[in-house]
Amino acid sequence: MKTKYILGILAAAVLVSCTDNFEDYNTDTTGLGDNEIVIEQMFKPMQHELFHDYQTAQNLGADAYAGYMMSPTPFQAQYNLNYAFVDGWNNNAFKGMYNYVLLPIDKAGKSGAREKAPDLWAIALILKVEAMHRVTDKFGAIPYSKAGATPTLVPYDDQKDIYNQFFAELDTAVSNLETFLANDGGTPFQSEDLFFNGDYAKWIKFANSLRLRLAMHIVKADAATAKREGEKAMAQPRGLMATPADDAARAVTNGTSDLYMISHDWDDNRINASILSYLIGFNDPRLSIYAQPATKPGMAGEYIGIRIGTAIPAKDDYKTYASINTTTTFTQTKAQQLMCAAESWFLRAEASLRGWQGAGDAKTNYETGVRVSMQQWGVVDGATVDAYLADDESTQVGYVDKGAKTDVNDSAPISTITIAWDETSSNEVKLERIMTQKWIAMFPEGMEAWTEFRRTGYPKLFPVVNNLSNGTIDTDIQVRRLAYPTAEYSTNGPSVQDAVSRMGGADNGGTRLWWDVDKANF
Amino acid sequence: MKTTFRIPLTVFLLLVCAYAGAQTVTGKVTSISEGSGMPGVSVLLKGTTIGTTTDADGNYTLSNSGLPTGTLVFSFVGYGTEEVEVANRTQIDVQMTEDIFSLGEVVVTAFGVKRSEKTVTYATQQVSSDELTRVKTDNMVNTLNGKIAGVTITPSASGVGGSSKVILRGNRSFVGNNQPLYVIDGVPVTNAGNSNGQPNSPFGGSTNVDGGDAISTLNPDDIESISVLKGASASALYGSQAANGVILITTKKGKEGQTQINFNSSIIASKAAYTPDFQNSYGRTTETASDSWGAAAAGTGDKNTDEFFRTGINWTNSISLSGGNEIAQTYFSYANTKATGIMPGNEMKRNNFMFRESAKFFDKKLTVDGSINYTSQEIDNSPAMGLYFNPLTGLYLFPRNEDIMPYKNQYEYALEKGYDRQNWYNNEDIRQNPWWVVNRNLNESIRKRYLMTGSAKWEFNKNLSLALRGNIDHLEDSYEQDLFSGTVAALVRSGSGQFILNTQTTEQKYGDALLTFTVPMESAFKVDGLVGTSITDSYVTGTSLGAGNGLKVPNLFIAQNTVPSGQVSNASTMKLNHTQLQSVFGNVNVGYNEWLFLNATARNDWSSNLAFTSNGSFFYPAVGLSGVLTDALDLPSVLTYAKVRVNYAEVGNTVPIYAPNPRNYLDPNTAAIVISNVLPFATLKPERTKTYEIGTDLKFFDNRLSVMFNYYKSNTFNQFVRLTPSAATLHEVGYINAGEIENKGFEFQVGYDVVSNDKIKWNTALNGSRNVNTIIDVASDRNINSFVLTPSNNTNYQSEMHVGGSYGDIYGYKANRDAQGRIIVNNDGSPSKNNAFQYIGNPTPKFAAGWTNTVSYGKFTLNVLVDGKFGGHVLSLTQAYLDQYGVSEVTEDARAQGGVKVNGVDADGQAVEGADPEAWYKAAGGRNGISEFYMYDATVVRLREASLGYTLPISNNVIKSMRVSLTGRNLMYFYKKAPYDPELTMSTGNGLSGVDIFNQPATRNIGFMVNVTL
Repeated sequence: MKTKYILGILAAAVLVSCTDNFEDYNTDTTGLGDNEIVIEQMFKPMQHELFHDYQTAQNLGADAYAGYMMSPTPFQAQYNLNYAFVDGWNNNAFKGMYNYVLLPIDKAGKSGAREKAPDLWAIALILKVEAMHRVTDKFGAIPYSKAGATPTLVPYDDQKDIYNQFFAELDTAVSNLETFLANDGGTPFQSEDLFFNGDYAKWIKFANSLRLRLAMHIVKADAATAKREGEKAMAQPRGLMATPADDAARAVTNGTSDLYMISHDWDDNRINASILSYLIGFNDPRLSIYAQPATKPGMAGEYIGIRIGTAIPAKDDYKTYASINTTTTFTQTKAQQLMCAAESWFLRAEASLRGWQGAGDAKTNYETGVRVSMQQWGVVDGATVDAYLADDESTQVGYVDKGAKTDVNDSAPISTITIAWDETSSNEVKLERIMTQKWIAMFPEGMEAWTEFRRTGYPKLFPVVNNLSNGTIDTDIQVRRLAYPTAEYSTNGPSVQDAVSRMGGADNGGTRLWWDVDKANF
Repeated sequence: MKTTFRIPLTVFLLLVCAYAGAQTVTGKVTSISEGSGMPGVSVLLKGTTIGTTTDADGNYTLSNSGLPTGTLVFSFVGYGTEEVEVANRTQIDVQMTEDIFSLGEVVVTAFGVKRSEKTVTYATQQVSSDELTRVKTDNMVNTLNGKIAGVTITPSASGVGGSSKVILRGNRSFVGNNQPLYVIDGVPVTNAGNSNGQPNSPFGGSTNVDGGDAISTLNPDDIESISVLKGASASALYGSQAANGVILITTKKGKEGQTQINFNSSIIASKAAYTPDFQNSYGRTTETASDSWGAAAAGTGDKNTDEFFRTGINWTNSISLSGGNEIAQTYFSYANTKATGIMPGNEMKRNNFMFRESAKFFDKKLTVDGSINYTSQEIDNSPAMGLYFNPLTGLYLFPRNEDIMPYKNQYEYALEKGYDRQNWYNNEDIRQNPWWVVNRNLNESIRKRYLMTGSAKWEFNKNLSLALRGNIDHLEDSYEQDLFSGTVAALVRSGSGQFILNTQTTEQKYGDALLTFTVPMESAFKVDGLVGTSITDSYVTGTSLGAGNGLKVPNLFIAQNTVPSGQVSNASTMKLNHTQLQSVFGNVNVGYNEWLFLNATARNDWSSNLAFTSNGSFFYPAVGLSGVLTDALDLPSVLTYAKVRVNYAEVGNTVPIYAPNPRNYLDPNTAAIVISNVLPFATLKPERTKTYEIGTDLKFFDNRLSVMFNYYKSNTFNQFVRLTPSAATLHEVGYINAGEIENKGFEFQVGYDVVSNDKIKWNTALNGSRNVNTIIDVASDRNINSFVLTPSNNTNYQSEMHVGGSYGDIYGYKANRDAQGRIIVNNDGSPSKNNAFQYIGNPTPKFAAGWTNTVSYGKFTLNVLVDGKFGGHVLSLTQAYLDQYGVSEVTEDARAQGGVKVNGVDADGQAVEGADPEAWYKAAGGRNGISEFYMYDATVVRLREASLGYTLPISNNVIKSMRVSLTGRNLMYFYKKAPYDPELTMSTGNGLSGVDIFNQPATRNIGFMVNVTL
């Protein structure tokens, strides 16, 4: 009896007194609750994270596939750079934008940004399209319209539907921003803007240019939509990105750009033989701006890059090859580019070839593209640029890997394209010219460059030296996409399997995306 | 029946003897280890029931006519039984030796409650202080290794003062704690490490330097005994904190009626027990190359490891003073340890103070006990494990034909070279000048621990008492890392050097109230038990100053000289991690006729970590039954004692904090808010382990042979599974309760007094255990059948758990093979690698055994402990690197014989018997090579401990006893196939097991110890 009585008191003492503070204890005071964040505070991270996992998500894939970069580091004997995919890298390429860009955009939406701050919502939509077109252009069908809607299985959207949603979202974004500017609401985004210092007019021009880029992506798959959206982009009152002041580059806020980190600090990135072969062949003044020469004994001072798929015995063997120029150009805090104004001129040039309304003259667009690019990279001497544009002889040079024991990495030139515009050329030649110059201008943004290479076949890039894809990727056709990460099969299996069943090929690097139609450019 | 008959007989015999005119024998019983008189020792005339017990000073007097020709039997809990022929002597002094394997009559159970051994329904095992201090080491826990069946102890390879992983009966939890609760004098204490935590990446990392655990800061000389409660039933009363068992530590206190001063001094020298096998016949490939795949060249590298490693010295001095009367007792001790590791610069200093006072008041109804324990510890330059900041990478991979001495003699340039000062032949991030690392990549872990314990016990009467107890365990930690200008650029964020400073305070407060009762009744049944309530409140707080972007002024290692890397300060406030656990519990024991015992316990916990969930509290029961068959049945007389026991228990493991309530954090890159990518876990439940155990304790031949055997099975459900949902959910982290881990196995212990006479005593004891761990489920309802414990981080080691696999399974790369199992060899001579992670082994031994022998001859005592861990496989990435760089003996042999012997096939299907060593090992070795080639049998049989003690024949008014001993630890490997000691671990956390990545070698230790009692 006595025992029970005392037990009762003890139990009562515990139960009554003390669990009141448990919720306080289980609340981490070094963070904020959902209801304690202002919407603006979500925007810097989503801009910053556009380059999330840059090394594995882009540099060790798209940047090399675009002929821009190549790593001197033999991370593994078989990896993306010799077409044997590393699942973890592909997973990084897949997941980063969802977890770090779409998530805060989704949260901003749920916090009422659509209604409370339509201008901020417009920025979110532009960032969303920019982020996610880079994902769908790697994989094809991806979860998009339903992303974030359920905690488990999320269906995949076909790429066509995703592109249509992109266009619709850009419609909303531009409309919201135009309304905001019409009401002269000031520059409320200035303190959070990592691109344009709060200038919504530039955001609109970026959105318009993005629309033109996306429209061109699908020209072989859905010519009508491409034309409609392309013409819409070129008809926008504020126009497209026109001068380097319009360039969309994300400011570095964390002290060191991703590109600098992997190239300079980690010595994990060097310049690709392909881009150097054109820059050297064209006597391009951007050569020494983009690249710094090799330091390896026997080839010091020479612009010798590394060809994709080179068998690299040890990092020491190749890290002294020519690098991107981290000394004066791609410096520690250099903003990381997503789209340059020059690109929009080259897009217009191709639109001209395709007869899209509002595109203007192909030659003018092409030459303006080159001039704007030269201006962007500080080549200000007009005579130099004029001479460059008049050069109708220089062509790509071949590649000799002077540091290798054998000539297995070497290649003769594979393109005869020249610089000077020739109105008499066929559309196909004109396209190669435009695409080659666009490609040089877009450096170092390899993701878009890889997309455009796949779409048009230009510029002509040295194929992979060692292809370890087990026959899934054709060396000459080159890699068309990344494989879905196995994580999707294990966590979102039915959805990804459904997507693969409609893909028209196996889930490997040889299967073409929806917009990557295997047919002539014209 | 038997018992009731005995007592009248004893009385009768005593009367008869007294009448017969007795012969008298007197003497003193002393402990061989402490030298002091032993009170309460049973002295019995063999073959009779005539006997007595020693008084407070250890003296006894026994009278009986049968004495002159008889034999006296001296016995005491925890000591070996001594038999001495009287042979007409009237004075017989006896020294008793502690015996860990004797199944004593009193055991310490949960909450420090001492119970008669036969009433206990579960397995416990006790280790005496002598066992802990006989062969000392810098972490007291390591001295338990090999002595207790079912306890796996894995020391960190982190040099002096490093922590140790203790696992009782297998790992149970995917992500939760798998280590036991430590309880000192009935009250739980923390075993927290410092803010660094344990590494979980093969690269190690700069801030993952082990700073030791809390239990290692204890002074082993203060410990009276350690009891290990292995099963959930034994620990059920401690609730969710004790889901993995309990290690109960009883500390010394002053003894009534005697004063004693003990002085202990030991010096132990350590040397690397092994170094890798290198080649000395081939030089570097080119003048600038970093590998040794070049032409034949005389090697000079043989001396490199000797030039680097040194002899470590551990010098421990301790003194204790104790004394008291029947009202108050005092114990004071001080210990000082100074230890240097085998790596230059690695050093530990430790000071322990303990003061304990016990007193009785109110006619001895109130007993008050209080102690204060203070420890200060400083560990300098703990070796980093893994690839970064590890001197051994640079040392081992150094080109074999180059002379390393210039780099030792001058590891840095003078200042005029600017701030890029390291003198080294290359600048790869994983390979710096070893002397630069130990002199210019410094770290220091400082710990201060205050442990204050108090208790008051009121005895209402002999059947009812109330105890109130509490403690405050307070730890102050700091960790500092100074990376000098000149450290390879990839590891520091500026050319001026880098500074890290973390300070952390951990505090755990505990209080309980216990009402202990015995139901007074005249019956065959006896009922006793306890009810209680407890509260445990703990938090960790601190500030960490991160690396930021390095320093402004070179090599000025102060906080204000650091450069933030992002938009916010590089100082960060640590999470408070405030948790509180409140409990109510009770325990009832029912005994029937002194041979059948039923034990039932119940506990309910309320955890603050469950706030915001629907599960406010959790309840768990335990029940056990034991029977002493020798008291119940008429069994053959060879069987002295036989007990069988069975029990069942359920217990929960603590749930992690904050899981149901994710928050949004400051983004250091942009100074804005990063939205939490964690899905809130509102249905969080604690892990639950259901376990049963059956066992028996047997003694034969008058206790000469003792046997203990247990079988157990435990299943742990509701694992806290962290999962990565599809990225399309937008969330990167989610949690569910799922999964099941099963552990089943057996343990045995056999002790035998081989020889026991007054000249020679030889006790031998063998223990063994086997645990089979099976992952039964991960999260099948979510289609998840595996779980990554340690991610590979771009290496070829990954620890994964798969359904059907077991804890710690190692996954790595295998070679591609044809249908006949031949390795596919590429055209260049390299093996073709399969890029998928596949199962390549599990490091956990299949069977573990320890064999102790104690021989005393006169004043000499010899102890030898041999232990073996059998089975299991471990990965040596060290060897893989050595092969890749062409510095290993293996590559020399391959080159000398003109190729690597392989059972291979080329792309055309032609058999390949030899491969070019360089092509082969460059692809097979290294951190991205074929890991299956670097898996080794983990079986190790070693001479774990040996000591030879001699009690000097000195006994006077000043010195009561003096003993010297020669000790050795890890003296030799009788069997070891792996190129390192598989017992060492890179991490004492859950992950990174079974892999050696340039770990510091195990050490061989030889010491000398003096023990003086005044």
